[in-house]
Amino acid sequence: MQVVKLSLKKANKIPIEADNVNPDNFAGKPAEEIRAFLVWYGNGQCPLGDLFNVEVEGSDSAENTKIVFEGDVSRVKRIGQNMSAGEIEINGNVDMHCGSNMKGGKIVINGNADSWLGCEMTGGEIILNGNASYYVGAGYRGEACGMRGGKITVNGNTKDYLGEHMCGGEILVKGDVGLLPAISNNGGKIVIEGNATIPASEMKNGTVIIKGEVSDLLPSYKEEGTEEVEGVTYRKFMGDVNVGGKGILLIR
Amino acid sequence: MSEILIKNASVCDPTQGINCEAMDICIRDGKIVDSVSGNAKVIDAEGKLTMAGGFDGHTHSAGKINVGRFMNPNDARKNLVPGLSGQVARTEKTRAQVGYNTPNTYAIGYRYAKLGYTTICEAAIPLLAARHTHEEFKEIPILDKMGLSLFGSNWQVMEYIRDKEPEKLAAYIAWGLKASRGYGVKIVNPGGGEAWGWGRNVSGLYDPVPNFDVTPAEILMGLAEANERLQLPHSVHVHCNNLGKPGNYATTIETMKLFENVKPSRDRQALHVTHVQFNAYAGTSWRDFETGAPMVADYVNGADHLTFDLGQVIFGPAVTMTADGPVEYANARMLHEKWSNQDIELEDASGVVPLFYSPKSFVNAVQWAIGLELALLVKDPWKIMFTTDSPNGGSFVNYPEAFTYLMSAKRREEVISGFSKMALDRMVLPGIDRELDFYELAVMTRSAQSKMYSMPEKGNLKVGSDADIAIYDLLPGQVDPSTEYAKVKKAFSGAAYTLKGGEIVVKDGEIEATPKGKTYWVNAKVPESIDAAMQKDIDLKFRKYYTVSKANYMVEDSYIQKPVEIDTEGVF
Repeated sequence: MQVVKLSLKKANKIPIEADNVNPDNFAGKPAEEIRAFLVWYGNGQCPLGDLFNVEVEGSDSAENTKIVFEGDVSRVKRIGQNMSAGEIEINGNVDMHCGSNMKGGKIVINGNADSWLGCEMTGGEIILNGNASYYVGAGYRGEACGMRGGKITVNGNTKDYLGEHMCGGEILVKGDVGLLPAISNNGGKIVIEGNATIPASEMKNGTVIIKGEVSDLLPSYKEEGTEEVEGVTYRKFMGDVNVGGKGILLIR
Repeated sequence: MSEILIKNASVCDPTQGINCEAMDICIRDGKIVDSVSGNAKVIDAEGKLTMAGGFDGHTHSAGKINVGRFMNPNDARKNLVPGLSGQVARTEKTRAQVGYNTPNTYAIGYRYAKLGYTTICEAAIPLLAARHTHEEFKEIPILDKMGLSLFGSNWQVMEYIRDKEPEKLAAYIAWGLKASRGYGVKIVNPGGGEAWGWGRNVSGLYDPVPNFDVTPAEILMGLAEANERLQLPHSVHVHCNNLGKPGNYATTIETMKLFENVKPSRDRQALHVTHVQFNAYAGTSWRDFETGAPMVADYVNGADHLTFDLGQVIFGPAVTMTADGPVEYANARMLHEKWSNQDIELEDASGVVPLFYSPKSFVNAVQWAIGLELALLVKDPWKIMFTTDSPNGGSFVNYPEAFTYLMSAKRREEVISGFSKMALDRMVLPGIDRELDFYELAVMTRSAQSKMYSMPEKGNLKVGSDADIAIYDLLPGQVDPSTEYAKVKKAFSGAAYTLKGGEIVVKDGEIEATPKGKTYWVNAKVPESIDAAMQKDIDLKFRKYYTVSKANYMVEDSYIQKPVEIDTEGVF
């Protein structure tokens, strides 16, 4: 087991792009090498060690590597981008694009996450013990496919465009979500335990289950009886018929 | 005075009939000359393939491509052809580059130059949006540029044709070219752009345009007559009716036949038909869709009055952009894709739809084959201009890949082996074993263009021509393109040297310098009395219909970078 502990030397106002901070890159490396990793800080690059205190215990493969961020990193972006194994624990708030394009492994965030959490991820798991902002599990601007696999659990609320263009995988939100969750979905499963507004618009495929209240459901869905999931009976809708969609929307 | 001597080049210059012969080329002050002094900078080309700079006569590189950029922010990060696409940070010499199908303006200039291309012709300038086109031209480095102005669904054009006023029509074309600083007359789906304003299309050459009582055939003939009356350097440049529809090869041949009696006013074709791949479809629906290339090629082989370009398909993502509004609507609906639609007021329509050509789709596979069939079945390469209608059939950065299809039957077989049986049944390509040589390739990529656009100083290495030269890291005698196609692709992907106006702009596939290119436009002279009468008519149009005034409509000199005015004398 290898544990890499990172803590900011000083709270930063200018964003840091930590797109190479992941277990795949840190596995088996001593502290000096990790400190030498270059990250973008504003419009220039600087070594990770200039911005963070770095402590390393042990040395192991990516699967057995854990990176722990102590304290708030709400101006550090792209933590865990492209990671395929291991674990990242963030004990504080985190900036945008955390876990983007993630392929495997696990990220646990004990704080809030900014927008684009787990965007375009294809595998692995993200657990957020806090609230998320916009575009959880969504796709890059203009792309037809967002999240394709893996699982995101949000133990709080999220803002708008949850799972935009999602093509696979699973998102579970324990709290409420904002406007237009599951917009243009083409696969995957989204479970929302709280309330949602205008869900599943232009959905082509996939499943959306909303346990709380739904506001402004679009008229472009066909109601097709009821369906029981885990002992609860939902009204079942198919659509969005505007795009010839075959998605399933279950609401109470 | 700057002098360059290119030594021991293996020169391929079809205009002079030179086929890979060892020669020296002398350059002084941007022109090719007979001899240079001993002080000339020497480039040792050591038997390397040397051609005139490439000339892409039909590309969407300024104007509508910007709508493609808005719609496809994701294109910015696509890097499907490493070295010629994707995100590249700025360097001392180059600006930052992004994109693949819709790269930023700087990337367009750099990447064409890396391929050894030095001149491009924007395929469609809506008169109303011409300022924007020229603003983009300004920011495309290195290349010489020109553009074709759209006239095929223009109210004033259709009225003059209906009212049988050929002289005023010619005056209007001359004014339109001046207003847009265009080089020639582009006709897109004649009449169809206007019909699209009513949610309709025209179904063929003799289907009248709503409210104008003229047919596409009359528009074509009227504009061709005006084009020749003004003695314009290029013939009319026609995107036929019914593009993209199964069975449209018949319309294409019919259009070509219409022009048999048009007498060109200069030593060039009477008609240029563009991206014929999209117009050479047989069958009656997408179910029984098949190639119509053999029929079109048959006709072209027996005709002397026309030239065409391919519109070759490249597998992968592409962005279709055309003034043919109804086609883009059909594409968007059929493919469930993003759709942009624009109304160009009194002039035309336009649309943009991104799409993906997949070798697994039998339709796409047959489309891919049709482009190559046209290139290989038409015997005379001087009738053909190589294009992908970039980025409609695929980005121009794939030209080297496409060259290998033309030059190697083995390479084609490799691709074909991935096709379904259904696709193979609908094409004739597997039975064609013709392979182009460097000479024929040079004809299709530069020399034919020189003649098509009446630009004697481009596309050849004659003494007096512009010193736009591409030297590729390829020894013609020692490389067999039919088997060593990987080498061919590599060499064409990054020229050993590209010279633009006698300046080294590319060396070993990397940008060396980024001079500003020239902008060519045509100023056709029209008698004052006819011009004045025509101006009265368009003044009325501006007062009644246009959202802009005439004064704000004209492209002013300040928009044009290093303008080259080509003067012609109209015959009235």
